[in-house]
Amino acid sequence: MDFKHYLQVLKENTPYDFSNYSDNSIKRRLQKVIADNDLTIDELLEKTQNDKGFIERLVEDITVNTTELFRDPELWPAFYEKLLPMLKGKKTFNIWHAGCSSGMEVYSNMILLNELGLLEKARIFATDISANMVRQCKNGSYRYGFNKMQLTDFKAVLRKYPLNGISAIDFSKYFEIDEASDRITVKEFLREKVDVRQHDLVQSNPPFYHKFDIIFCRNVLIYFNANLQSKVYQMFHKQLYPKGAMILGNHESLTGFYNTKFNKNGPVYTKSNSFHFKYH
Amino acid sequence: MVKGAYKAVVIGGSAGSFSVVSKLLSQLREDFPLPVIICLHRLKHVRSGLVESIRLKSKLEVIEPNDKEPIKGGKVYLAPSNYHMFIEYDGTFSLSTEEPLNHSRPSIDHTLSSAAYVYRNKLIGIVLTGANKDGAKGMKDIADKRGHTIIQDPKTCEMDTMPKSVARLIKPNEVLTPEGIVKFLNQLAL
Repeated sequence: MDFKHYLQVLKENTPYDFSNYSDNSIKRRLQKVIADNDLTIDELLEKTQNDKGFIERLVEDITVNTTELFRDPELWPAFYEKLLPMLKGKKTFNIWHAGCSSGMEVYSNMILLNELGLLEKARIFATDISANMVRQCKNGSYRYGFNKMQLTDFKAVLRKYPLNGISAIDFSKYFEIDEASDRITVKEFLREKVDVRQHDLVQSNPPFYHKFDIIFCRNVLIYFNANLQSKVYQMFHKQLYPKGAMILGNHESLTGFYNTKFNKNGPVYTKSNSFHFKYH
Repeated sequence: MVKGAYKAVVIGGSAGSFSVVSKLLSQLREDFPLPVIICLHRLKHVRSGLVESIRLKSKLEVIEPNDKEPIKGGKVYLAPSNYHMFIEYDGTFSLSTEEPLNHSRPSIDHTLSSAAYVYRNKLIGIVLTGANKDGAKGMKDIADKRGHTIIQDPKTCEMDTMPKSVARLIKPNEVLTPEGIVKFLNQLAL
């Protein structure tokens, strides 16, 4: 099947444009959708043009929704050590989780902010391309078995690298855990604080008018080609306050022109307004 | 061996493979010209220090690549923990956090198959000791593109399931001991 042609049909018939996703990755995802749904190419084209429910499922299946509570546990203390001085000096600050998936990282971050005494000052926004992920993020209810180990791992990391004097977290403040039904649910005081919206990063218009102090976008742009990545970095740069921070996935790096517009400090990319010629 | 006959070496391994990879990298010539692309299963919840340990043994630089990083000769690339690692036509890596394949992320099949499509008959594929069948399909893809296939001699494996699953799908070009693999690779650099 001609994937480029299919992505064109998808773009013309739906609000979704995957034509600047990286070729092999989008091809692999589409092949999986076709195999999982046992579809012929004609059936796929027919459903794409006529079945809105199918399109929403397709978008969810094409995009990768891997996330965990406190994913990359060592990242969090390292990250907040760099940003605490900046955050403590502010009356309020804004955080955007771009490509938030089911929201596990959004809530992990809020838990840390609360432990640091900063949650009151924070306004939290989260966006994802998939309507179902937006629902899941709002619900904040996950499989417990899948996350149990992550919580244990994070506790171990905090014991080893205390964050601003915090070496342990009582997770019962933040979650209702029901082992019998394998559910771990984020408590309401956290859930009601997040503004979750459906938004596709391919649309270069940001979904917010205000600016941000921190943008999380972890393991999202790895699925985009260099052109589209560059457009998204441009949008993030524009949406950040001076000295605002951007956090990418552990094995993502900023390259090309926008590398000159941010300073890297450990896992944190800080917006730089001075232009310097370190293009590579 | 004709100079320039190959463009890359790709290696997959699981249970027991750490010591074999350490041995290979400690004995591989310093001027080994090809990229050595390695995908090993690793325990997700153990900060294993795998890359640090391998760096101690290797004469070549060992890198856990970032997404879209260019692939260079004479370097060792290790699939980062919790990411699948693919080879792209433009000579770069791409990473993905999509679902595990064969219960593994990184999955050896993903790395090997993508390398087979890019390097075709100029690829050497090696599968080492391991307790599951990840890598078998990738080796079949390499064989289908007429790349050179090597499995670790099952008699020398801590777990022989992985090389044996390869041998069930294809007839490998070579069945070699770890010493034999070192010798084979080092003569490529001559």
